[in-house]
Amino acid sequence: MRVHIVKREDCPLLKKILLIVGAVALALVLGGLVLLAMGVNPLEYYFKMFTMGMVGNKIAYKAVENYLKILVPLILTALGLSLAFKMRFWNIGGEGQFIVGAIAATAVAFQVGPVLPTPVVLLLMCVAAMAAAGLLGLFVAALKVKFGTNETLLTLMLNYIALYFLTFLGETKADWNFFLNPDSARPTFASFASLVSFPRIMLGKFGLNICVIITVLLGVLVYVYLKRTKQGYEIAVVGDSMGTARYAGMKVSTIVLRTVFLSACLIGLAAAFKVGTAGILSTSFTDDVGWTGIIVAWLAKLSTVGIFLVSALIGVLQYGSTAAAATFASVDSSFADMLQGVILFLVLAADFFTRFRVVIAKKEVERHG
Amino acid sequence: MAEPYAVELRGITKTFGPVVANHNVNLNLRKGEILSLLGENGSGKTTLMNMLSGIYTPDSGTILVDGQPVTIASPKDAKRLGIGMVHQHFKLVDVFSAADNIWMGAQEAGVVLKKDRYQKIEEMAKKFGFDLDPRKQVCNMAVSEKQTLEIIKVLYYGAKVIILDEPTAVLTVQEIEKLFGVLRRMKEQGHSIIIITHKLNEVMEISDRVAILRKGEYITTVDTKDTNEQELTEWMVGHKIDLNIERPKMEKLKPLLEIRDLTIRSDEGNVAIDNVSFYIRGGEMLGVAGIAGCGQKELCEAIAGLRPIESGKMIHKGENIVGLSPKEILAKGISMSFIPEDRLGMGLAPSMSITDNMILKNYNDTKGPFVDRKAGREDAQRVIEELGVVTPSTETPVRRLSGGNVQKVLLGREIKAGPNVIVTAYPVRGLDIHSSYAIYNILNEQKKSGVGILFVGEDLDVMMALCDKILVLCHGKVMGVVHAHKTTKEELGLMMTGSLDLTHKYEDKPAGYAADTLFQEEGEEK
Amino acid sequence: MDDKLNIVTTFLHNIIVYNIPLLYGTVGEITIEKSGSLNLGVEGTMAVGAIFGYILGCYANSMLVGILLAFLTAALCGLIFAVLTVTLQANQNITGLTITTFGLGVFFFVGNGVKAVSWPAMNNYPNIQNGFADLPIPGLSKIPVLGEVLFDHNILVYLGVVIALVMWWYLKYTRTGLRLRSVGENPAAADSVGINVRRYKYLHIMLGSGIMGIGGYYMGLNMNGSLSSSCWTNGYGWIAVALVIFANWSPAFAMVGTVVFGFFNTLRVSGPSLAGAFPETLGWLAGVPSQLYQALPFIITALVLIATSVKKSKHSGQPAALGLNYFREER
Repeated sequence: MRVHIVKREDCPLLKKILLIVGAVALALVLGGLVLLAMGVNPLEYYFKMFTMGMVGNKIAYKAVENYLKILVPLILTALGLSLAFKMRFWNIGGEGQFIVGAIAATAVAFQVGPVLPTPVVLLLMCVAAMAAAGLLGLFVAALKVKFGTNETLLTLMLNYIALYFLTFLGETKADWNFFLNPDSARPTFASFASLVSFPRIMLGKFGLNICVIITVLLGVLVYVYLKRTKQGYEIAVVGDSMGTARYAGMKVSTIVLRTVFLSACLIGLAAAFKVGTAGILSTSFTDDVGWTGIIVAWLAKLSTVGIFLVSALIGVLQYGSTAAAATFASVDSSFADMLQGVILFLVLAADFFTRFRVVIAKKEVERHG
Repeated sequence: MAEPYAVELRGITKTFGPVVANHNVNLNLRKGEILSLLGENGSGKTTLMNMLSGIYTPDSGTILVDGQPVTIASPKDAKRLGIGMVHQHFKLVDVFSAADNIWMGAQEAGVVLKKDRYQKIEEMAKKFGFDLDPRKQVCNMAVSEKQTLEIIKVLYYGAKVIILDEPTAVLTVQEIEKLFGVLRRMKEQGHSIIIITHKLNEVMEISDRVAILRKGEYITTVDTKDTNEQELTEWMVGHKIDLNIERPKMEKLKPLLEIRDLTIRSDEGNVAIDNVSFYIRGGEMLGVAGIAGCGQKELCEAIAGLRPIESGKMIHKGENIVGLSPKEILAKGISMSFIPEDRLGMGLAPSMSITDNMILKNYNDTKGPFVDRKAGREDAQRVIEELGVVTPSTETPVRRLSGGNVQKVLLGREIKAGPNVIVTAYPVRGLDIHSSYAIYNILNEQKKSGVGILFVGEDLDVMMALCDKILVLCHGKVMGVVHAHKTTKEELGLMMTGSLDLTHKYEDKPAGYAADTLFQEEGEEK
Repeated sequence: MDDKLNIVTTFLHNIIVYNIPLLYGTVGEITIEKSGSLNLGVEGTMAVGAIFGYILGCYANSMLVGILLAFLTAALCGLIFAVLTVTLQANQNITGLTITTFGLGVFFFVGNGVKAVSWPAMNNYPNIQNGFADLPIPGLSKIPVLGEVLFDHNILVYLGVVIALVMWWYLKYTRTGLRLRSVGENPAAADSVGINVRRYKYLHIMLGSGIMGIGGYYMGLNMNGSLSSSCWTNGYGWIAVALVIFANWSPAFAMVGTVVFGFFNTLRVSGPSLAGAFPETLGWLAGVPSQLYQALPFIITALVLIATSVKKSKHSGQPAALGLNYFREER
């Protein structure tokens, strides 16, 4: 008897879901063992984490507001990345595109914020962020299309080039540098929150940021775009078989350029939302959303609905662990990163069983087909 | 027979998902013989041999080497058992030298690479009668050199059983002769050889015995000297080939597509199509015969606008279409469908549904930003019904269909668009007889409605029965155009191998130029 | 004048002292990539090696234990990567990024956890302290300037150079190295001649990860043990990924690349003092923003990437099957 692995084309949805739920559960058990070893009751910890500290909290709506602040950029970034990934364009430059988008939005806020009405400023911020991020994506896509430059490694490099450019802006005192706070002797980013900020719709005490609504709308739009429009169809064909796309008369280069541009635009918009809500830049303001977005998009199998679900889960992990850390001082908030890592490892492992079938050799196979 | 077989296969079955590649196959190889493994494309020859070389593991069945049952779980096992295979797609490391490609799998001890490996391998190659530059990088080698290297490699590893998968497909006539010389010499030295091929003349020339597979099943093994091509063909195809394909007679229409002095380069930069001229009339089916890789693919791609041409003209209804985009050519009613070896590479998006594949070429014809899947679904339904596609639904991904159904979907889509020229390459590749006939009927229907068809095929019998004329290519050159009902297989075979050139049969006009062309050169009076 | 010479010597000396982790990371990543796997988890792997190597090395008061545990714990990260990508066919990019998330998570979790109790200070462990002290090579270190720059370093610097040279020799001149390269170039070809592709991948992913781990340990020691959230120099692992490209997948060139990238890295710190010492010739250094130095490795690598693709360079050392999983029965 020997074990032997074959590819499978079809895996029942229920089995897929069970496998993923099983993987997450197993990861939680492993994390629970670590907690136990530290003398923390895992059930209490997880309860705190998954409820994000809202139960029995008088200002629970604050927790929801903050949770959504994490969620919005993550969802938008993952949505953007999924567009490129659908075409098998491995854009891992989310971080870089997010950063240039945020810088552009902030620049607009400072430059025209004082003179133009707020809605116009916000709109301009979004447009500038999308243009800046989009052009960065376009640059890589153009090189890829023209010369076959490795987009994975190039976008990786651009992430750090963008990051150090942001650091440069944040640490360089100079007359031209309007990003900094003029009143501070040490270089610190200036806040533009008093100039502009995305409005909130008050539902009682709870303030629903308009970005949340736009994000949901964009989710629907991306879904429709991919599933129903000609351009979405083109993306699917290019991703499935580039040869077939050419054969069908599609202009593959144009499609790649357009899609990567759109992909980066969405990431830029995510940045505009993030910075426009916070009202201030910082060198660590991305919260690694460009990286996490990749993982979210991949785990969701590039499905639009899936991206919302996975983002929600990852958001709970990230925000919930901060909330739990407040109660359980002995457990560092980095526990969430570790847990997230373990969950991902196990989900990646579980994924194997949806794509492959393990068979025991030496059995009679019936003929059919 | 007292002496055990070099290799014996008993009841081998191998499936890939729903596809049965081999079913209960028996095969034996005597020591010191050359055995031809004959079968049509898709009959499971390569799969079977891959199980001998350890690439695949059989689902069931027994393999015996020298009379002993063995398990071949990996290529390493095969190598240890003295079985070596020269794959159709060479398994060589491009950036390594010839010597290192051999050395990387060599058994001798030694931690450090020494310079004398070049010499050792050169000497060893000489011993077997090969000329090899051990320092030459594989990426700088010609195809025949790579093949030689592969053969030297398996010999170096001490293989007693050597399997060659379609070794002649990529070779010139001279190179084939040279290869056969090598095989005969190896046989004299006591090696047992299996050669996979579907070319009967080669089978008759080189082998001692012939084993035949059909649709994944073992048919029989016969001594070559006791058989003939007719008999082998019958076994290969299944029954006496009274193909009985209908060939509707049409009245002569004007040329629809004229190809003049066309020269095309392959991806590697070689001349793939060399100054080729021919034309297709409406209501006519022109077959294109030739050994695999003689420029068929490049020709098809050029007509569809997918490959730039070096020089020449392509005239559709009197208008030069050179330089038009694939989309514009499509709009002129020229449809091209090419079934590559993996059947899914070009023309279909395998992960997408039948509906989505139906709209591939016309998704952009509707107004507005949205795809009209309703029409696509109706088209899919129609194709499924009319061509008898077996599928759970119109939304099933194409990759889950079996080969015949995939090809019906592809051809169904092409016809649905109402083309006036159909270029189709290997439309029955890997199909069973029943499905093949369904495809022939589809093509004939189109022909009757006045469509001009270019049929690039492999099976000469089929082309002789189905086509009106046959154009023969040999290494990118036209060897002549013959009337299908007048020619013989021998004549075609000679032309395919380049021994017969009929292009100068008619002196009155340039070969391949239509007398009643619709095309007028600038300043030319007609 | 002596002062000025000292400043230059220190600068050159520091290029090596501060950037050896890059060499470890790069050589480790080259080892992995040569087997055809693109592991983007360098950052996380180095972090894991750093934290366990440092803490356990201190507890044992033995540098050898530190090196070994840095190597082993990092190799475990490699094992996770190998199980997921080689056996379970997971996407390499995603797995690598996850290794980084996980590794940094472990780093901070363990680090902050230990810190909450009592952080082992390097000064309290004489064996570590002395083990990491400079070890001048007799004779060679007496050469003016050059001696101090090149031949007066701690043992891990020498070890890094030795590992780089050994890996260079291994890849180029040994038969196992030849086989490893064949696995990275064309796993199907390697498989067909009987090379155990899976075993080669596993071993070299683990070996390469282990080497990275030592690099992480070095960083911990070089910071005098002050590993903490603020001191972990985010990005060395990523620079290593860039350096692999810059070095064209050669461990020998990785040494050159380390010096080049290290030059800019060190200039960031030493720029002002150099500018002070040579106001006329190097005074402009004071005006160069430090972030430019930090970005330069990535800018250079991006340019190298673009240039090689524009030139369609045939001499690229990039393994042809890099980033692709191998499944024998692929049809």
